[in-house]
Amino acid sequence: MIELVDIHKRYGETDVLRGVSLMVRDGEVCVLLGPSGGGKSTLLRTINGLESFDRGRIRVDELELTATGPRDQVLAQIRRRVGMVFQQFNLFPHRSVLENVTEAPRHVLGMSRDEAEAEGKELLCRVGLADKLHARPATLSGGQQQRVAIARALAMKPRAMLFDEPTSALDPRMTAEVISAITDLARGGQTMIVVTHALGFARGVANTVHVMHEGRLAESGAPEEIFERPRHAATRAFLAEVGPEAARH
Amino acid sequence: MLGLTFLLVMLGCMVTAAQADSLETIRHRGELVWGADAEGGGPYVYPRDDDPTQVQGFEVELAQVLAARLGVRARFAQGQWEKLPDLLQRGDIDIVLNGYEWKEVWAERFGTTIPYYVYELQMLVRRNDERFERLEDLRQAADGKFRIAVLGGSAAENHVRDHFSGTAAPVLFEGNTDAMRAVELAIDGVDATLQDLPIVTFYESRFSQLRRLGEPVAPGYYVILARREDESLVRALNAAILESWQDGTIPAVLGRYGLWNETQRRRGLLTDERGNFRPDPPAGQSAAAAGAERGGSRPLTLLRRMPLLLQGAVITVLLSVASMPLAIVAGLLVAIGRLYGPTLLRYPLGWYVEITRGTPLVLQLYVLFFLLPELGLSLPALAAAILGLAGNYAAYEAEIYRAGLQAIPRGQMEAALSLGMSRGLALRRIVVPQAVRLVIPPVTNDFIALFKDTAVCSVITVVELSKQYYIHAQSTGAVIELGCVTALFYLAMSYPLTILVRRLERRLAEGPRHD
Repeated sequence: MIELVDIHKRYGETDVLRGVSLMVRDGEVCVLLGPSGGGKSTLLRTINGLESFDRGRIRVDELELTATGPRDQVLAQIRRRVGMVFQQFNLFPHRSVLENVTEAPRHVLGMSRDEAEAEGKELLCRVGLADKLHARPATLSGGQQQRVAIARALAMKPRAMLFDEPTSALDPRMTAEVISAITDLARGGQTMIVVTHALGFARGVANTVHVMHEGRLAESGAPEEIFERPRHAATRAFLAEVGPEAARH
Repeated sequence: MLGLTFLLVMLGCMVTAAQADSLETIRHRGELVWGADAEGGGPYVYPRDDDPTQVQGFEVELAQVLAARLGVRARFAQGQWEKLPDLLQRGDIDIVLNGYEWKEVWAERFGTTIPYYVYELQMLVRRNDERFERLEDLRQAADGKFRIAVLGGSAAENHVRDHFSGTAAPVLFEGNTDAMRAVELAIDGVDATLQDLPIVTFYESRFSQLRRLGEPVAPGYYVILARREDESLVRALNAAILESWQDGTIPAVLGRYGLWNETQRRRGLLTDERGNFRPDPPAGQSAAAAGAERGGSRPLTLLRRMPLLLQGAVITVLLSVASMPLAIVAGLLVAIGRLYGPTLLRYPLGWYVEITRGTPLVLQLYVLFFLLPELGLSLPALAAAILGLAGNYAAYEAEIYRAGLQAIPRGQMEAALSLGMSRGLALRRIVVPQAVRLVIPPVTNDFIALFKDTAVCSVITVVELSKQYYIHAQSTGAVIELGCVTALFYLAMSYPLTILVRRLERRLAEGPRHD
């Protein structure tokens, strides 16, 4: 349902993306791994237009985004279908937890307040935050905030979800609760692309793993292949650096 | 304690110094410091064409003549016209020599010399204004009152109040030429202006669209003001004036400026026992003006001014509460335009902010009120004042908002966009509400600053609290009493404002309730 074809992007003198092609099927969980600076986050952000690109095209279902073509109209459509969860949560601090979740359904989809709140409560229930509906984001722990962010994105009933290092800003105690929320979602058949450094999580959740290195896909395959029999030097170096223990969990 | 004693002793010395005989000080110094206002001051005192750093005018020559008779040089000191008596009281200048007419209230507060000139008042109207043939036409009832431009606090203002009450209202200007320009361009519905004859003589050729209406009226006396205790200085100046009249020096000076006329022969010469001038017989206009000042004890006189001060306070509040919301909204739009608008919009908005912040408010008001009519756009004074204040403060608010908007992390916008919001919706619902909370304290400060800046609007004839204060402090001499009352009025208005805003700040910090 998501297809990236030959995506190139330059930041001044640096080639951040050097021809990346990627296909994500309906219901697939796709994990992007690789060393920092490899272009994983940038690639993820091109899909919903938070980053532009210089060459190539992106297709989400029947919607097509090109480097030079009209963007605004297509992006608006894509963003309604593709939700995103950020490393820093980016919750709206001036709104309560429930309001964070109902904001977009009400004001983008035009849903009534009662309906949006009913759905919002259900979603917050699912991520285990039924008792925090009226709290301010600032009063929550990092793990709780990230779970609100997941519920907020889900409230738009996205066809696909993008996770941009969802556990990197969390201390280890909080990581587990967020990982479990995402894993539940994956088991439920949610299409998603996940950028992460948590190898155990990646191995447990992924259908397909892509290793990015210097703006290209170095290697792609099922998690067992990538973790047990890495073929590319970059993959081996990365796994060695992050630690074999991490891979096993 | 020692420091305080020292300070008191010092103050004591200064007071004594001020009380010493000024004539002796002047002779010792070799300079007579005379205060006047060179702004719009022809033919009295105005910058020289060949050397604008120097002044010329009949009062400049007069000062030189009189100083020479005292055996010293004359040194000009610039001061705002209506503040000259205050400068004199402070001791910054020795005398005020700048078209000050003899009035009872000056005589009470200051030493006054015998007159050096007898002025009359001349009405001017537009050349093509067919409503007026005689002065009497301004006393005929019409739709609404006629509006007559006058210099605030001048004899002309009193004359309009006393002799045209019912059919015409004075509009208070701070410069003679401003008043004449207002008539010429019919700014703010001004129909006529009443001016001292010397000014009319001097500026007539420049304002070719104006014509005299009727004969000059209400003669009065220009006198020199000195501090009350400077008796010997007043006597010496009296002698100098008398001698200069007798040997033809002063008539010659007046002749050079086209100011000589037969009325000058009616100059009064009588003085009281302290050498201060007494009009005899009382000059019509001055006596009438002085009469208005009498009638009642001093507390009663002051009490009568209270409603007028209150009226000024109402104008001050009106100016602030009308212009600040405009400034806040316009400032926000400018900030958003500069940050998120198309490039084509960013540059002009940037210039707007820089030009507005880089030029004084008083100049902007002046342009709005006096120069826009030249382009055919005439605004009523109150509208020009509100627009000017709002436009000026919008530039400052825009910069505050810009800082506020930039302080909101980029992730907020990205999160909103990723949820499918448009940029506009994201700004409106997510970014701006957070920025507004951040900027409340600086915007509050600006509101209080604007509140006080409303005082500047008196340059375009809006008589707000501070102008009312000057007018009544001048006419009653109750500088301190009315000053305290005025300050209280300002505090009474700004303090609740501070409280209100503090409460608002607290509420916003807590965030909106769940509605």
